[in-house]
Amino acid sequence: MNVTERYKKNLMVSNEDGMTKAMESVKTIVYSTDPRDMGLVRKSIPCQNACPAKTNIPGYIRCIHEGRYGRSYELNRMANILPGVLGRICSKPCELFCRHGESDLGKSVSICSLKRSAADLKSPLHRIMEGLYSPSGKTVAVVGAGPAGLGAAHELSVLGHRVVLFEAFDKPGGMLMYGIPEFRLPRDVLMLEVENILRLGVVLKTGVRVGRDISLDELLSEFEAVVITTGCPVPNRLNVPGEDLENVYPGLEFMERVNRGEKPYVGKTVMVIGDGFTAMDCARSALRLGATEVKINIRKTEEYMPIDDLEKHEVKFEKIRFYSLVDTQRILGENGRVTGIEFLRTKLEYSPSPPYRTASVMPDSEFIVPADSVIVAIGQRPEPSGVSASIEADGSRIRTVKDRFSTNIKGVFAAGDCMSGASNVISAISRGRNCALDVDEYLTGRKRKIQVVRLESVPSTDRDRSYDFIPRTPMDTLDFDQRVKPGNPEVEKGYTAEQAADESKRCYLCSLVYTIDTSRCIYCSACIDVAPRDCIKMAEDVPVMEDGSLSAVTETKKWNRVAAIAIDNERCIRCGKCYEVCPMNCIHVTKTELIELNIED
Amino acid sequence: MSRLDLVVEICGSAGEGTISAGEILSRFMSEEGYDIMSFDSYPAEIRGFGKCVAHTRISRGGVLTPGKFADVLIALNDIHSIGQLSVLKEKGVLIYDNKPARYHLEDQSVVGWLEPGMTPYGIPLTELSIKASGNARARNMVALGAFSALFGIDRDAFTESIRRRYGKKQQAVIDSNVNSFLEGYAWTLENVRKMDSFRFDGMSAEVKRDQLIINGNEATAMGALAAGLHLYAGYPITPATKIMEIMSKELPKRGGIFLQTEDEISSIAHVIGAGFAGERAMTGTSGPGFCLMSEFTGLAVMAEVPAVIVDSQRGGPSTGMPTKHEQSDLNIALYGGSGDSPRVVIAPTCVEECYQAAVLALYIAEKYQTLVILLLDFFLSNSIKNMDPPTAPETKYLNAHIVPDAEALSDYKRFRITENGISPRTIPGTEGGMFFATGLEHDERGKPVYDTVSHTRMTEKRFRKHKGIATEIPAPEVSGYEGDADIGVVAWGSSAGAAREAVEYANEKGIKAACFSSLFISPFPESELKLFSKRCRKILVPEMNYSGQFANMIARYLERPMERLNLVTGLPMASEDILKKIEEIEYL
Amino acid sequence: MPSNDHYVIIGNGPAGNHAADVLRKNDPDARITLLSNESMLFYYKHKLPALIKGTIGDTELSVKGARDYKEKNIRLRLGQEVERIDPRENRIYLKHMEIMSYTKLLIASGASPRVLPLVSNFAKHLKLFSSFTDALNQIGDIRNGRRYLVLGGDLVSFKFVRMLKSMGKEVDCLLYPDAFWPFTLTKDMAEAVNKSLTKDGIRVLSNDGLKSMNQTCEGIDVVTDNGYTATFDSVYAFLGMVPNISFALGSGIDTDRGILVNDHLKTNFNNVYAAGDCAQIYNPDIKSYWLSVGWKNAAVQGAVAAENLLGAGYVITPSPKSILSVEGFTVDTSWWENFD
Repeated sequence: MNVTERYKKNLMVSNEDGMTKAMESVKTIVYSTDPRDMGLVRKSIPCQNACPAKTNIPGYIRCIHEGRYGRSYELNRMANILPGVLGRICSKPCELFCRHGESDLGKSVSICSLKRSAADLKSPLHRIMEGLYSPSGKTVAVVGAGPAGLGAAHELSVLGHRVVLFEAFDKPGGMLMYGIPEFRLPRDVLMLEVENILRLGVVLKTGVRVGRDISLDELLSEFEAVVITTGCPVPNRLNVPGEDLENVYPGLEFMERVNRGEKPYVGKTVMVIGDGFTAMDCARSALRLGATEVKINIRKTEEYMPIDDLEKHEVKFEKIRFYSLVDTQRILGENGRVTGIEFLRTKLEYSPSPPYRTASVMPDSEFIVPADSVIVAIGQRPEPSGVSASIEADGSRIRTVKDRFSTNIKGVFAAGDCMSGASNVISAISRGRNCALDVDEYLTGRKRKIQVVRLESVPSTDRDRSYDFIPRTPMDTLDFDQRVKPGNPEVEKGYTAEQAADESKRCYLCSLVYTIDTSRCIYCSACIDVAPRDCIKMAEDVPVMEDGSLSAVTETKKWNRVAAIAIDNERCIRCGKCYEVCPMNCIHVTKTELIELNIED
Repeated sequence: MSRLDLVVEICGSAGEGTISAGEILSRFMSEEGYDIMSFDSYPAEIRGFGKCVAHTRISRGGVLTPGKFADVLIALNDIHSIGQLSVLKEKGVLIYDNKPARYHLEDQSVVGWLEPGMTPYGIPLTELSIKASGNARARNMVALGAFSALFGIDRDAFTESIRRRYGKKQQAVIDSNVNSFLEGYAWTLENVRKMDSFRFDGMSAEVKRDQLIINGNEATAMGALAAGLHLYAGYPITPATKIMEIMSKELPKRGGIFLQTEDEISSIAHVIGAGFAGERAMTGTSGPGFCLMSEFTGLAVMAEVPAVIVDSQRGGPSTGMPTKHEQSDLNIALYGGSGDSPRVVIAPTCVEECYQAAVLALYIAEKYQTLVILLLDFFLSNSIKNMDPPTAPETKYLNAHIVPDAEALSDYKRFRITENGISPRTIPGTEGGMFFATGLEHDERGKPVYDTVSHTRMTEKRFRKHKGIATEIPAPEVSGYEGDADIGVVAWGSSAGAAREAVEYANEKGIKAACFSSLFISPFPESELKLFSKRCRKILVPEMNYSGQFANMIARYLERPMERLNLVTGLPMASEDILKKIEEIEYL
Repeated sequence: MPSNDHYVIIGNGPAGNHAADVLRKNDPDARITLLSNESMLFYYKHKLPALIKGTIGDTELSVKGARDYKEKNIRLRLGQEVERIDPRENRIYLKHMEIMSYTKLLIASGASPRVLPLVSNFAKHLKLFSSFTDALNQIGDIRNGRRYLVLGGDLVSFKFVRMLKSMGKEVDCLLYPDAFWPFTLTKDMAEAVNKSLTKDGIRVLSNDGLKSMNQTCEGIDVVTDNGYTATFDSVYAFLGMVPNISFALGSGIDTDRGILVNDHLKTNFNNVYAAGDCAQIYNPDIKSYWLSVGWKNAAVQGAVAAENLLGAGYVITPSPKSILSVEGFTVDTSWWENFD
């Protein structure tokens, strides 16, 4: 009993006896684990699929549209326990895949800003929802209170285990607290959401560095399991002459000092080397420390920077300039202090793996640029031996069982950047949470949660076609002269309720899946006439892929080969026009959501 | 531009509201005091996805033809409009949909074919229509909004005009159209930079709300109704159906009779029957139907029964080209049927004249107890003009029945030989006024006779009526150069407008050209034509048929060589075509 | 052997037109399509001030007429903008929703005035002037206005200032020596400019910047950092040029400031070349990447790119060193000759 099965059956009329059997719409709510339904969710809701935490994006945006901010926040929290934080600093892989952003359809929905608006606009006395399990009597140590550690600690607590969270620094949050500048993430927002985790009974021990202050063996004797989420504390080096001069800072160290309230010397002219979010944060922080000329030097071009356009825009708005196609050869200095950098020009070359370009230097193209300080933000890596030398590593990362989180030591698990290498916050949170489920299975000997597809028939789309033409709502930001001032005020102002409402209308609600009941379709092609793009197809076949899900329909233009008129849910923008014009009312709308269920319910 | 004269074409697929957009535009421009002339073309098939073109000329200085080339092309459908680009003038303007639902394949977008010098304005018609009305059906209104914004047309006045146009419809329909218009207007004003130089100025200078905006068929029907038509019998055929449609609505309201008969033979039979009964009656058809009627036309002549046939000509022979223009039924109108059969042929030259012609047709048929053929054509039937409401016909045109006096009734001879050929006629049922009326040759009482003398006298009598009719026909229209001209254009029917315009253009270019046309083809103002011919070095006869039917006819009167322009393009005669010919032959 | 090639040239400027002519000469049978987002025929950009002044008309502005293209069988598509390119499929997506294919592509889309971040706060008040379309739109405003502020951040600005002055307008010119295009204006040069313009009654604002701008019914109220206050009919920004390459971003064709090409003017795709103001080339002489400046450079590059599209393999050489003299100073140019 699932939509796809019937959809499939009806499509293959020539082969099956389902030809005359009328397709009854899904009247009640159905839960399915059928690989075809799983595949359908994967393909038809691209944002959710792109999210490492598999956040129910259409669901929470719909809640914002309905003004139910609290509910929206809670939907977020089910997948990611820091919505207010991620609503500000997420690297938003979802927006790259948003259907609204496909060419000719406009720009992607501001999914991230909407996430923030749910956090901003919800009632201050909002009720937190937690599906708590009975105490298990088991104890778990989580090493590192960064995103992965917080994610793991929260999920373990929910599952009934007693959790102690060890943090080497004096405040929790990890990179969120020490890597990201305050003007992007106000600390009260972070601390509130961390507090919501600690409230479940998680014991936080700060200033304790595992491996120095306490050994892994000691932890193992005290706890039934240990989760290592120590992130990537070691900065990558340029390995060029002059890197050890005074006023040459590794990016992470620079940010850490700034975030502790220190004011490292930057001078007037600051050269930042690196193209990631940390490089941008360093450049913008340097500006706030009094630099007048900040340049970000990148080896490739802006196009291949791993940051989004909005971030580039903010950086440029602050009058920071990008210098592309340059490679640092050496850092020049006098009396131990930086005076400049010698670069070589580079050129782009094809590389077979993403992002498909490398930069190679051009001979004899050296030139020198003066600088007062240099910030090297070219990434960081884990320190696997930091916690214990006996943990096996895979290069610089902690080795875990493939697709799982257990390490070579029984009862020791690893999650987040220390096992994956440098990634992003949402991935780390997701890995921390998934690691907790592994730990739970280890401790209890069974799986307690399962992912299923929830299918519910809905009467209509409840969306106006005119919504599709609303332009993306930009978020208001501070004027330039408001930005560089004491207290590092937050640059982005957040959406007003009106802006959030407008932006939430833009979501196509891809979780609504459209299907044509082929047993009732009269092939009038009225739906094809009103189709906004090539989303309704004359289908010959729907091949099944290896994993059991369905691939795209095989199209035909010959009427004598048409097995069905089919809606391609990967192309469909849920405008509802076909639903409106169908003279046979044979188009069904099914709300399709990926949810987590408790197996024992 | 010194004199505003703008030709706008809207090109789309059937069902896209192409024709209605054209109609809304013409109506509004007419209300604003402009002279308009429209000529739409659409597919022959009743339902389908063929090409529709709404063509409207808007002018301040009076219009005689719809114009061959367009200044503005509004493309609602790209594929169809690509072909239509050929009629866009060198500095023309194209308004097109730059955000259709799907990508066009290479070379299937109209703007891709634009020539340098033309100005394209891309408007997201589909998107704006959806935005304003929820669906793409109001693209035509969005396009009109964009057009208005681009050419400086008063937004509010146009909006009011649309409201009036849809006044009786549901509020939702009105809103959807008005909102789409406003959306198109606002978007264009904000997003489009005006690049061409066309602009309407002095809008609302002279508002004319009471103007009629009608085509030749409507004018004909109005004229016939004004002249007291009592019965209309017909069988539908393009391009005459509209007359029938109007009659079906109007006649019953006025106590008249409307009949859709089983075929054209039956139609003419009914008309003759009604004429016999003393009522004014008419039928309308096109070439193929007219052929079927031929046999009965003889009866009307022989039995001296009033009968009016409207033949709106179309491309022939046979079924031919139902939605294309031609003037090739002149021969059958003049000479069709058996025997020596005199008939009156009237060929109006413009929409306004159709009204007058219908009045005259019914009047002459009744007064002279004979057959009158009103020759329209596809262009005349379908071209739309604005005009002042016509004044009602004088009473003499309303009752022309010549009845026998008491003395005559004492010894009633229905077909009495008279000097003017008219024999006073009784209506069946008149005491003492009984008579025979058959298709056979007869004596004065109507009794069949076949002797030499009777047939000769009766034939002469029937032909004698034309002398009287000739005294009643309006004077021919002569325009252009008044002295001895190099070129005299003699035109008939709907081509006469183009001829007059061509002569006007020729005069502007310094060519001594003059134009002659007559509403009546039979009887024809022969002596006036001879006078005209005498002052022209060359005579040019343009007409929309291959064999030169009209030229052949006047050759009998003129007995001189003539230049001919015979086109069978299926399109209306264009002044450009005639002007080109004039320039060609001027120095010969 | 008849060629089955379809050459598409994006851009109807000197580079595009020279390329089209070279292609036609060497490949008589190929399809050649020239795309332009402007509706105007190929025209002399440097004559636009004369058009504004009214000393010349449309016809004198254009380099050649439509017939020239007809005779050479070059399909001219005017007023059609490129939305994006898919170089893997050899396709061009036009903004009006048409998909074109090519076998060989030349990008010669030129450059447009840029709005630098330092004036981005005032962007909505600034007018840009570089194309026929701009001229057409602003001709009325320019002729009717009285007082103008010109943001002088490039060489073109001086020509514009001179044009306004010769039309009897009151002109203020705010100099931007640090952000000058196509070279940095030294202190001496800035002083020379100041002197040269001031001598002819133009008020030059140096070492100053915009503080605020407000639209009122009188015009635009401008306050500078130094406290100079005035009201202008319009404010024109001339802050250098930026290549028109938005349609190529993310397409797979490598871009930086312009389209990245090697010394054969080839991009990272073998059948895609770029020439003129939109092409970015590494120049070993100055150890830097550079963007072409000016008509002559573009024309040469267009011709070379076309030859190379035909398989010639020519290497583009920078223009020889020369000296340009403007507004009282001279500047050595080593990779361009004039900015027109």
